[in-house]
Amino acid sequence: MTELVSTATRPGRSATSEMVRRLPEFLMIWVPLLLSAAHLISFSIWTIWISFTPSTLVPVTGWVGLRNYNSVLASRNWQIAFDNLLLFGIAFVLLSLTTGLLLAILLDQRIRGENVLRTIFLYPLAVSFVVTGTVWSWLLNPGIGIEKLAHDLGWTSFHFDWLVNRDMAIWTIVIAAIWQSSGFAMALFLAGLRSVDSDIIKAAQIDGAGPVRTYWRVILPTLWPITVTVVVVQLQFAISAFDLVRALTNGGPGIATQLPALVVYDLMFQRSQLGRGAAAAVLMLLILLAVLLPYAAWRYVRQRRAAHA
Amino acid sequence: MPITTTRRRLLAGSAAALALPAFARAQGAVKPRLTAISQWSAGSDGAAITALGKKFEEKGGVWQHSPVPGFTTDMMNKLRAQIIAGDPPACSQLKGPEIAAWSKIAPTVDLDAVVASAGYEKVVAPDLAKLHKPAGKWIALPLQIYSTNMLFLSKRGMDKAKADKVPVTWADFNDLAEKMKSAGMAYPLANGGTRADDGQKFEASLAGISPTAYRAACMNLDKKALEGPEMKAAFAQTRKISEWCDPNVGVQPYATNLKRFVDGDMGMLIMGGWAQGVLKNAGFKFDDYVITPGPSDNGKPVFLLNADAFIFWQRKEADLQAGQMLMAQLVMDPAIQTMYSQITGSIPVRTDVDLSGEGWSEGQRTTAAALKNAMGNNQAVLSLAHNMAQENGLTAAMIDVITEYVKNKTIKPEEAVSRLADAVEGAR
Repeated sequence: MTELVSTATRPGRSATSEMVRRLPEFLMIWVPLLLSAAHLISFSIWTIWISFTPSTLVPVTGWVGLRNYNSVLASRNWQIAFDNLLLFGIAFVLLSLTTGLLLAILLDQRIRGENVLRTIFLYPLAVSFVVTGTVWSWLLNPGIGIEKLAHDLGWTSFHFDWLVNRDMAIWTIVIAAIWQSSGFAMALFLAGLRSVDSDIIKAAQIDGAGPVRTYWRVILPTLWPITVTVVVVQLQFAISAFDLVRALTNGGPGIATQLPALVVYDLMFQRSQLGRGAAAAVLMLLILLAVLLPYAAWRYVRQRRAAHA
Repeated sequence: MPITTTRRRLLAGSAAALALPAFARAQGAVKPRLTAISQWSAGSDGAAITALGKKFEEKGGVWQHSPVPGFTTDMMNKLRAQIIAGDPPACSQLKGPEIAAWSKIAPTVDLDAVVASAGYEKVVAPDLAKLHKPAGKWIALPLQIYSTNMLFLSKRGMDKAKADKVPVTWADFNDLAEKMKSAGMAYPLANGGTRADDGQKFEASLAGISPTAYRAACMNLDKKALEGPEMKAAFAQTRKISEWCDPNVGVQPYATNLKRFVDGDMGMLIMGGWAQGVLKNAGFKFDDYVITPGPSDNGKPVFLLNADAFIFWQRKEADLQAGQMLMAQLVMDPAIQTMYSQITGSIPVRTDVDLSGEGWSEGQRTTAAALKNAMGNNQAVLSLAHNMAQENGLTAAMIDVITEYVKNKTIKPEEAVSRLADAVEGAR
């Protein structure tokens, strides 16, 4: 409004002064946005291009069609990594979701010391994945960690060797990842729980619903937009998981806990096969798009519905 | 022969030998300078290259070494970045077939003249020399040699098992391991669980069973040899070895076990001679253990050759060129090789270095004798696990199969054989 008035009263300096006034906004929003978009897009295109070239030690030009893709898809490393991603992605997302929700509901009971507990549960998020991975690799190592502690306490039949057991090792990554990120889910859910209209809850109570029923039928249904957000964010993490696995198991025992990001790193920086590494990276991008595109579509539909309502 | 020439004479000499015009013009004025990268940052490796740098400075040079800690591949990433940026180091660590591969992406220095004037070619094992002159010209110089399949025996471990005979064949080895186990050692073998370690378990098995099969399968990638009966036997032996190792070691390196090894809680270790440097650096004594050639079924030592080397990248700067010539001369110098190997536990590349003197361990003498013996019997082969037999990509694909097999006891030896053959096919 003030804008309109000022331009109306001083017609001489309209366009230029307006531009000068808004220049900082443009600089602060558009320059970083364009830079990061250009960065992201140009490097994605570059990677896609490299994935079709015979590059090994250094990028070279040339065209090999889908050869790199075929060889990545046929490799055992990638197959194991993909299976692990499915298992890890589903288990991690479901478990961190339920853990986070449970913590949020428990914290929502107006208990004493809520702030302290909330900080404790959120704290792992502030720790780097490398630290999480290293600490858990010590805790889970049967020779020095939890198993040894139980043995030293006298429970000698106790057995917990998941870290070095190739069938169970992927679950150690799930455990560490949940420890790290269920606090994030908790924070979002707690915010959601607190924003539920207290009139609705009171109405439910007047209608005679117990606490379990109130949560199940009244409160939780209002949380589902948050749930979708949490799932998408966690899935993104699961697909691009790298540092945690590298510190915790480094893909081992053997190649039992390979994940796509590790395969990409391996091919590009350990095996000097840039073309194949790029192909694996593009495959990862495709998996990520398979999650993000439906999410974007869902948000679009929701916004349109909200606008129409 | 210690080098006593002054800087001026040395420079003039190298310049004359090479007759490089740019170098000749600059030789009076410049101080030789060397930019070098390697993975050797700590422990005995770090100490050795620091000592080499000191020698370089004593000769009047400026030593600019940037270590890249971690695996060789981490060093390679830095090298790649520098090459792409058009600013390669004057000299970098690189070895095996990688020398040929990398020399195709950036120009290297022709070292033929300086090698000839030092008479170096005559004292280097021919198989090794070949790796360092991929297109017929010397572009890299080997620095030190290891065998990846030396057998370390713990003195206390041997006493515990009441054993005094050093195993020669795999059967002897297996008997001794069983003996140690029944003497109360839960895990007779002190090997670790890294990829390279798993690779060594396999290559030691195969080369010990048949060096001929090893050469055909791992060095020449002969399809028939890759599916041959020796491969199955080698995988079976690898399984035995892995069952004698502590599973809780996970993917940690062998070095975590060294105390248990010296104390006699673990009796044996199949490792390269560098373990001697690590043991020494950790404060253990030479008479805590015995080093002997790895098991060989035909009774004659098999030498799985691993050699560290420096490659020299073309630079225009006169001081760097002078530095490269000085470095080349130092690397070929028997006194320098002696100093270096005595720190790291390797043996010198030069076959004419006398190891009977002080400063050498019994283990190093055994290793040098094993190399001579193995070369005479055509049983010196190139190590797969340490990137001497194949380029990185192929090696990694093969080690994938081996390390999975070591960690997954449900894979049968015959399955591993066909997986290995498939992996080779897929990575080619």
